[in-house]
Amino acid sequence: MDCWAGPLLQYSNTPIFRHLILMDPIKLTIDGKEVATTKGKTVIEAAAEIGIDIPHYCYHPKLSIAGNCRMCLVEIERMPKLQIACNMPVVEGMSVLTQSPKVLAIRKAVMEFLLVNHPLDCPICDQAGECWLQDYYMQHDLQGSRFQERKEHDRKREVFGPNVVFDGERCIKCTRCVRFFQEVTRTDELSVVNRGDHSTIALFPGTVLDNPLSGNVVDICPVGALTDRDFRFKVRVWYLQKTSSICPGCSTGCNVSGETYQNRIARFKPRINEAVNSHWLCDEGRYCFHDLTGGERLTTPMIRQEGGLAPTTWERALEAMLSGLRGSIPLAGILSGRNTNEEAFLFAKLMKKLSQDCALEVLYQERELSEVQKILMSPDRSPNFRGAREMGVSSNGGLEPLMRKLFDGHFSGAYVVGEDLMGINNDQDRIRQMLQKLSFLVVQDIRMTETAQLAHVVLPSTHFGEKEGTYTNRNGRVQKLNIATIAPEGALQDCEIFVRLLDAAGDKVSYSTPVEVFDALAKEVPAYHGLNYAAIGEQGVQLGGGEAKQQ
Amino acid sequence: MEKVLLRNIDVPDSHALAVYRSRGGYRAWEKVVQSMKPEQLIEEVKASGLRGRGGAGFPTGMKWSFVPKDSPKPKYMVCNADESEPGTFKDRLLIEKDPHAIIEGTLMAAYAIQSHTAFIYIRGELAFGANILERAVDEATQAGYIGKNILGSGYDVDLIVHRGAGAYICGEETALLSSLEGGRGWPKVKPPFPATHGLFGCPTVVNNVETLAALPWIIEHGAAAYAAMGTDKSKGTKLFSVSGHISKPGVYELEMGYPLMKFLEEDCGGVPNGRRLKGVIPGGGSMPVLRPDELEKVNLDYESVQAAGSLLGSGGVIVMDDGTCMVRAAWNLARFFAHESCGQCSPCREGCHWMEKIFHRIEQGEGRKGDLELILNVSGNIMGNTICPFGDAAAMPAAAFVRKYREEFEEHITQKRCTIRNGVME
Amino acid sequence: MALEFSPETYKKFEETVNRYPKKEAALLPVLCLAQKEFGHLGQEAIEYVARLMEQSPARVCGVVSFYTMLNTKPIGWHHIQVCRTLPCALRGAERITSFISKTLGIEVGQTTADGRFTLSEVECLASCGTAPMMQINDDYYENLTDEKVTEVLASLK
Repeated sequence: MDCWAGPLLQYSNTPIFRHLILMDPIKLTIDGKEVATTKGKTVIEAAAEIGIDIPHYCYHPKLSIAGNCRMCLVEIERMPKLQIACNMPVVEGMSVLTQSPKVLAIRKAVMEFLLVNHPLDCPICDQAGECWLQDYYMQHDLQGSRFQERKEHDRKREVFGPNVVFDGERCIKCTRCVRFFQEVTRTDELSVVNRGDHSTIALFPGTVLDNPLSGNVVDICPVGALTDRDFRFKVRVWYLQKTSSICPGCSTGCNVSGETYQNRIARFKPRINEAVNSHWLCDEGRYCFHDLTGGERLTTPMIRQEGGLAPTTWERALEAMLSGLRGSIPLAGILSGRNTNEEAFLFAKLMKKLSQDCALEVLYQERELSEVQKILMSPDRSPNFRGAREMGVSSNGGLEPLMRKLFDGHFSGAYVVGEDLMGINNDQDRIRQMLQKLSFLVVQDIRMTETAQLAHVVLPSTHFGEKEGTYTNRNGRVQKLNIATIAPEGALQDCEIFVRLLDAAGDKVSYSTPVEVFDALAKEVPAYHGLNYAAIGEQGVQLGGGEAKQQ
Repeated sequence: MEKVLLRNIDVPDSHALAVYRSRGGYRAWEKVVQSMKPEQLIEEVKASGLRGRGGAGFPTGMKWSFVPKDSPKPKYMVCNADESEPGTFKDRLLIEKDPHAIIEGTLMAAYAIQSHTAFIYIRGELAFGANILERAVDEATQAGYIGKNILGSGYDVDLIVHRGAGAYICGEETALLSSLEGGRGWPKVKPPFPATHGLFGCPTVVNNVETLAALPWIIEHGAAAYAAMGTDKSKGTKLFSVSGHISKPGVYELEMGYPLMKFLEEDCGGVPNGRRLKGVIPGGGSMPVLRPDELEKVNLDYESVQAAGSLLGSGGVIVMDDGTCMVRAAWNLARFFAHESCGQCSPCREGCHWMEKIFHRIEQGEGRKGDLELILNVSGNIMGNTICPFGDAAAMPAAAFVRKYREEFEEHITQKRCTIRNGVME
Repeated sequence: MALEFSPETYKKFEETVNRYPKKEAALLPVLCLAQKEFGHLGQEAIEYVARLMEQSPARVCGVVSFYTMLNTKPIGWHHIQVCRTLPCALRGAERITSFISKTLGIEVGQTTADGRFTLSEVECLASCGTAPMMQINDDYYENLTDEKVTEVLASLK
């Protein structure tokens, strides 16, 4: 079910003449350095291959060539006019100068032109600190503008959609946003209207920019013309700490950068991974961290007594839990799709120790996706369903059969990790009755959920942003989560809880940290043989075997 | 001099097919489509030395030869009838008075590149001319000159008259193609070039009305006859549109190389009302102005005008007498370019309006020290750095006016008013 | 009632689209057809054309707003467009514009109260040899003098 990789690669646009690519080698010189590249590349690409970053605005590796910003003008020896590097095809023996006096002068001139009608908004503009006008000004300009006329004005703070707000004065008309919606989402909501220096970006009146990938234009807008409404005015970007991680929204496993301030995730930005999400992130994933990390946290284990749940110690809680579950066979275990491979591996071991034929499932539900959603999203909300199943959290043919058995009263005890079962469908009363009928229920979560309120023991744990570990996406790519925020005092990592339980159950294991657990699972799970934790890196590694095994 | 382009226009009903045919019209097309190979036609046109008459002056035969013969894609031929260059009105005359010459030329050009679909892109304001062209196309179609298996030759070609909707930039060939494709008139980034990737990404040639209208005569009389006229590098004849402060404005056909001053003083009757010449723009509003002292040795051909520091361009000769405020003239053109800039690329989009604002301030008596250097510098930053030649077209006149009439500009700034005519143009 | 072409105009629309090798190339002629039919290209008209042409309304808006002959707002019955570019300016175009403005009692860009005339200044109309001149709807009026202007305006009342 190759739902999204194909279309993604289709949308990586290349100039027309590249149809002539024959993988012919081309040798050229850039700033005196020899570059060996292939026919069909442009100067800007060849330069990037040897680490020379030619400044640009309108060029984007995944969009068609616009050639309108003129920032990438470079000097080509024996050509009288400067040429834009983003569109100039490499030719054998070409000699390119990216730092000649002419080039340095034109960069200053282009900066001056772009700033002619640009407002002095830096103090109130979210883009400050990651604005390409600022950055290139510092790197390539550092001269005052000589423009001393009245600036043209345009709409400010125009809400384009639920996630995007537009400022026409800051816009440099690079058309990246227009091209994104023409070429990637093919929804065509934005266009350039008017002519000359009245040109601006506009939505058709009465339309809203709300397609499932709309937030990406905030990423690709080089200036503060398109900004994120969720992130607006929250924190200056230079205060953000950036942690590489994986989006916990669905099993596509888009690579993200979790950007935090004062121990809270302030925003997600996509990380580039051509094997997974290219440069993009869907809106659902982009903002999913709010629901998954917010709310009042559990900071102490709880145990049911007369009159309700009361705080207790870890020792008491784990002891009560073990004896409770052991005495409530048959057992069911439901793991969240957001738990890591390491956690799933330990959970499966623990549950099988408690009851040989316990029923284990990872939460997995499917939904219909629209055409635009299919560009990136998977039809589930369980980022690690595949990894969890491969770790052994899979015995009953899927969640549906397990739920049916639960409703039938087949199980006496259940251990639910990281999911509020009361929220999985609309049949809340039925689920509540089912849970209340269990003789022993343990819930491990970050908040006092409705399911937790019905438990006999409640254990405080961590969410995806507080974990280190791995997810295996739908297509079998093992990717790493890193700790972006520190869990509150009192909560324990799920791995730590499972190891303590295994120990108390008589199965002391020699591993406890994610690295150690991964090494162990790599030995025991055939599909993961030979994998090395350190080698996973920032881009992940692909399991041999490809497609997700649907059950 | 034998008239090539204006040979029919004084004849009553010259736009009618019957009249056109009675004067030898379509004989060349018959010859081409029935007995010439495309390569022969291209060679003949190359030998004639015909150069593009829209403004760029590129050798026409060579332009045709850039179209890849073995491309599997359909080829397109486009006649550029978007005449909008200030001071230019020659194409309009041909459209209204000799539409069949244009049609015949377009058909021949299409044949040369083996195109089966040709367009005449005419500016929307020329509604009268567009109607005439459409009627002429109907006549020619009924006569069998357009359509399938033309005159039994096996060659098919369709000719569509397409009207623009008001944009000077659509005279630039790639902007024209963007417009013809149903989009904004945005010039395209080059490479690739229209010869290989033009209309809908297919091989396309765009030629000016005047260029195409010359083809029937060239084929009938032979390349050598055409090349015998004009100068070494500027062969044949050209139409010159004369306007402004001149006694006999209008369209004139001259052999290339005709002396400019002789033309103005003798053929056009000189500057009227007892005034004296102050400046001449020889090639349309986007070319540098020349002062009287620079005009002495200038001949009307590409090389001579270039040597004098301007360009022949479209041959739109705009004459200004000594009652003209050059500051206001410069501002008028700066305003034109600011209005017509498509807005795609940063130097033109921002620079054209910037220059207009500076000129306007100076003209209103609010000039500042440093304004002139700024105009020269900004125009220099635009030149050569834009997607299309529009940037150059805006930059050249701005710089030229400031350079050639520096004193007048400086007076405007220091005196804070117009010293020529109190700022009112007449 | 939703805006749409009359049956005759719809037929013209189909004929127009069929002339071109690709449907999208017919956008400008179709927009001109729509402007003739509806008077101007307001939001509804643009939405209608976008649907006919199978394009997004945003894209059609982008095209409409680029060309000076396409009007997004209603204008007077007679659109007086006086050329203001250099060759005409040299022959008194500004004076003609002032004269028309005074005669009709409107400024450039405005429409007379009775909706008969809109006055605009436009750029070069390729009539420099017969300057000053103006275009009213589809017709050129050249070699203008105050008298000629008065005559023309009277004939159009």
